[in-house]
Amino acid sequence: TVRPKNEVEQKQLCAFGEYVAEILPKYIQQAQVTCFNELELLIHPDGIIPVLTFLRDHTNAQFRSLADLTAVDVPSRQYRFEIVYNLLSLRFNSRIRVKTYTDELTPIDSAVSVHKAANWYEREVWDMYGVFFANHPDLRRILTDYGFEGHPFRKDFPLSGYVEV
Amino acid sequence: MLSVQTTGLVGLAVAENPHERLRILYTKIRGVLQNIPKDAAYRKYTEQIVNQRFNLVQMETDVQKLEDKLNSGRIEEVIVQAENELSLARKMIQWKPWEPLVEEPPSDQWRWPI
Repeated sequence: TVRPKNEVEQKQLCAFGEYVAEILPKYIQQAQVTCFNELELLIHPDGIIPVLTFLRDHTNAQFRSLADLTAVDVPSRQYRFEIVYNLLSLRFNSRIRVKTYTDELTPIDSAVSVHKAANWYEREVWDMYGVFFANHPDLRRILTDYGFEGHPFRKDFPLSGYVEV
Repeated sequence: MLSVQTTGLVGLAVAENPHERLRILYTKIRGVLQNIPKDAAYRKYTEQIVNQRFNLVQMETDVQKLEDKLNSGRIEEVIVQAENELSLARKMIQWKPWEPLVEEPPSDQWRWPI
């Protein structure tokens, strides 16, 4: 069976994506809607805090809930890490994804000032990928062992690690 | 609902005189928006929203009917939302997001599949 196509929702998401892209042309590089009706905004890394604050505070886009904060490692790109924020609006019952990019050495602004929930998620991204978050209140390891060296989720980290257990 | 003395929401107290509060907030937002260039999309859309809500607040004196017309939850939530919009407008003046794109991404950055 194939999921039925929801044209109405697709059109609404497209319209909303165009609305946001018109308001924030300084930071939004692309806006796309997947075939599963998921809206994604592709951002320049300088614009994380403006875009997230806009999505949280604006009346037409009350995305007050940060559902997820992750990173994707694509080693062949110049900026290998893609940071992904998933936001949920309870008022309008809709979700949106915000994506940024960075490489190993460039720090990214922390989203903790906008969403308190980002605290541990950013610690996890730092621990697993090595992406540094500037202005984070407490950036330290959260999942790896105390003396662990390396960032396990990177694509060049071997599956069974460097140390024998 | 006001005679019950609770909003039903944790942490939000009942607002006495919500019309006055909303009027003040919307006038403040309008004042802040004057500092944004006239052709910015943010100013256009936010002015639309604020004017619409301001007119509704002026015309409707009954709180319950106002909540239904605004269709945006309890009146205390509407007040919180207006405060958020005010703080956002102030920050927008510093960030100036209506300028053209800061930097183009590398050509293969957003290509998927790789």
